[in-house]
Amino acid sequence: MTDNEPIIDTSGLVKQYGGIAALQGVDFSVDRGELHCIIGPNGAGKSTFFKLLMGIERPTAGAIHYKGRDVTSLGSFERARLGFSVKFQNIRVYPDLTVYHNLFIPLRRHHRMKKIPGQVAELLGELRLSGTENETVSNLSHGQIQWLAIGMSIAAEPEVLLLDEPTAGMSDDETRETAEIIRRLSATGMTILVIEHDMAFIRDLNTRTTVLHYGRLFAQGTFSEIEANEEVHQIYLGTL
Amino acid sequence: MGSNEQRSVLDKYLGRLNGPQTIGRGVPFWTCFLAVVVVLALCPEFLSRYEIINFSNFLISGFLALSLCLLWGYCGVLSLGQAAFFGVGGYTYGIVALNLLNAHGNTDVAFVAGIVVPTLLAGILGLIMFYARLAGVYIAILMLVVSLMFELFLLQTADPDYTIGAAYIGGFNGLRPASPDDPLLPSLIFGAGESVLEFDGRSVEFYYLTLGLLGAVYLGLRWLVNSSYGYLLVGVREDSHRTETFGYDIRLVQLSVFCIAAAIAGLAGVLYTAWGTFIHPNQFGLKANILPVIWVAVGGRKDLTAALIGALVLEWVGIRLAAVGEISLLIMGAILVVAMLVTPEGVVTTLARVVEQGRAFARARWGRGGTGPRSERQDS
Amino acid sequence: METVSIIFSFIYQYADNIGFLLLAAVGLIIIFGMMGVINMAHGELMMIGAYITAFAYHAGVPAPIAIIFAGIGSGLAGIVLERLVIRFFYRQLLSSLVVTWGISLVLTEGFLLIFGPSILNVPTPFGSFGVGELTFGIYRLVLFGVALLLIGLIWALFSYTRFGARARATMENPEMAEAFGINTSRMYALTFGLGSALGGIAGGMFALTATISPFFGVNYTLFAFITVVVGGGANVITGVTTSAAALAGAQTIVNNAWSVYVGYVSMMLAAFLILLILPRGISEYLERRKIRVAKKNG
Repeated sequence: MTDNEPIIDTSGLVKQYGGIAALQGVDFSVDRGELHCIIGPNGAGKSTFFKLLMGIERPTAGAIHYKGRDVTSLGSFERARLGFSVKFQNIRVYPDLTVYHNLFIPLRRHHRMKKIPGQVAELLGELRLSGTENETVSNLSHGQIQWLAIGMSIAAEPEVLLLDEPTAGMSDDETRETAEIIRRLSATGMTILVIEHDMAFIRDLNTRTTVLHYGRLFAQGTFSEIEANEEVHQIYLGTL
Repeated sequence: MGSNEQRSVLDKYLGRLNGPQTIGRGVPFWTCFLAVVVVLALCPEFLSRYEIINFSNFLISGFLALSLCLLWGYCGVLSLGQAAFFGVGGYTYGIVALNLLNAHGNTDVAFVAGIVVPTLLAGILGLIMFYARLAGVYIAILMLVVSLMFELFLLQTADPDYTIGAAYIGGFNGLRPASPDDPLLPSLIFGAGESVLEFDGRSVEFYYLTLGLLGAVYLGLRWLVNSSYGYLLVGVREDSHRTETFGYDIRLVQLSVFCIAAAIAGLAGVLYTAWGTFIHPNQFGLKANILPVIWVAVGGRKDLTAALIGALVLEWVGIRLAAVGEISLLIMGAILVVAMLVTPEGVVTTLARVVEQGRAFARARWGRGGTGPRSERQDS
Repeated sequence: METVSIIFSFIYQYADNIGFLLLAAVGLIIIFGMMGVINMAHGELMMIGAYITAFAYHAGVPAPIAIIFAGIGSGLAGIVLERLVIRFFYRQLLSSLVVTWGISLVLTEGFLLIFGPSILNVPTPFGSFGVGELTFGIYRLVLFGVALLLIGLIWALFSYTRFGARARATMENPEMAEAFGINTSRMYALTFGLGSALGGIAGGMFALTATISPFFGVNYTLFAFITVVVGGGANVITGVTTSAAALAGAQTIVNNAWSVYVGYVSMMLAAFLILLILPRGISEYLERRKIRVAKKNG
């Protein structure tokens, strides 16, 4: 699927909060259709990076290009309309609504009313959540809520999917199933960026991986290259 | 016949009026609803004229409650100055009616203007506030400031210079005709060509008009909040950033609901001015602003029915208390604080939930009312 | 009229308006600016302070001591409110706005019921002085001075004392503070009480110039909020001082040119415009500039 044309390209991305620099000049690009993992110790700037990509926050300096177009100044709803979608680190579903209506809101932007029940059923099937339509979110297990949040993010059939810690709090079985779900999505040609802490999970995905450290791009390569990299070991041992 | 089939019959005929975003979806609820409507419609048969005039005023409060409930309860945008739109609607109606009554013989234009002008005002304020992405707390307080500024301004218009055509703004004297030759501030007079329909504020007809309009607004909002738009409102309330990442421009959602709420508040203001053929700057004051917040918070902000019941019951209680002495507002404030501590979701909402749980328990225990899976997707 | 007295009159009014905003805001600097708690009943806590001052004064207590009583009384009232009601609403901004508005209504109407609508007066001390043909009250300048003094004290308290450090730790990260052995709920109550006490002192100071009635508080609440909000949270102290200076500036200029009403409106408009341009308040902007300048200089 990869036609070697970067779909996202960032140059010199800087983000400061007050006096603290969360990102200090990140040049990063990802190809169309690529599945790409981003790892790094706590505070490396991973989540900040996603917030900038999604347009939740604006960079202090630098630019973001999407399909060659400068999208740095666009808000998150405008980027969503261009094909971006995100699952945040803190899960963020609608706690007062049922599973059905959690999916209804993102689906309704793209589908006619009549098609939505079918779409919901399809999504729930894909996410192993069939039969939970009428549950309120509080009745779901933690893993199920994660899947629901992923489902809400893919409801819009995005071109670029940003997943921030999709397996946090999941059991081993659930983690494996999540990897399976991500691989299936990737097979449809979706560009997917995944932030994770769980090394077993990253190993399972086994794809191009970027290491962020202190707000900078520290290393990049295939997972085996990253795994063999001594310096990467050191920064993890140094902080964990 | 189980509740399952009953419900699907209801869904068929009531559609979105009966959706999950509003309390009261079963046969018992709609039976009660009809009963209340019948009782309210029969009120003029067994209540004194004075009480009917009071009841008209209660019903007018209902509009304000629905307006604030939609804005705050469903979309999560709190305005502590909702009376600003009520007052602007009332003053606009009065000023236009005074000027056009002789020429037109009716108040059609005034009625429409009283709704349109507050909506436009909300449009301008909303455009500035929402597009600047002001925090919710600031919006709430800013709206109160706006309302109090109106009051302050109108209070110092007692000077005879402050006239608009045939209308003298009148400061603390209230709105009145500019000269003895000008007509008095009229009640609602709807006209089309030669035929004229007059609703004197002290008449039973006015009571029925208000009841009818309130019913229409209530059902209309029920329909609205159970539509896709209603879910979007709740989405914005629960997590506006998340909703934005689905591609929705939440500023537009907030602006639109702000305008709808202002239109309803404006309608209430029009009815109020027509009811008493009078409006005073204190309709922009602190008391006018805090009461709707109390009704909605005590009744239950997240449900239209709860907010409406809150308004009607508390207004009735307020009148009874006023007869005792100057303690009405004190008790209202105390009710608010206690209600928010004991039932954060509102008294009516909490009671409705208890009833619902009781019924579910009864169903599970004695198998009454059917045990099949609940019917799905009232919104499709 | 001589130019000197006109200029002095202008400066005097400006100082008076700044003093008013700062003194009104002094309690909210802590409660809203630092704790992030919305308290719509702040003006009513000031009203309690004003009543205490008036009653104590008329009972023969010297004014300065009466004002200290006011601080103690309002502070205790604040702690009671915090324990009974406000602590249940810390994480719900809009609900806390509504519930404290209800408290303000209860206090206003309660005082109205007990003390009636009658207006209490306490004579303004210190007399006046003249510049050219105009005379000016000295007490107004005292208000200005006390406002600056109190703000200085707050700054010192939170920067240099153990209490201040613990309070800041609590506001920053309650879980972490709890882990360090700080009793955070007591910290919240005490800090809230301190803010209320400052409000009471401010109310007592105002009691010597303003008329005291149950409706005393409303305006103070709104002006105080606006001043603190425009100041912003990045650095509350510099924020509030600059915002008071800016807002009072707008008010003073317009006051002189048109009327008091237009003066108020223009102040509100100024606040509104500043918030549109700097949604996080002035101090955020100042902090950012400081960083930029520091960077440029190495």
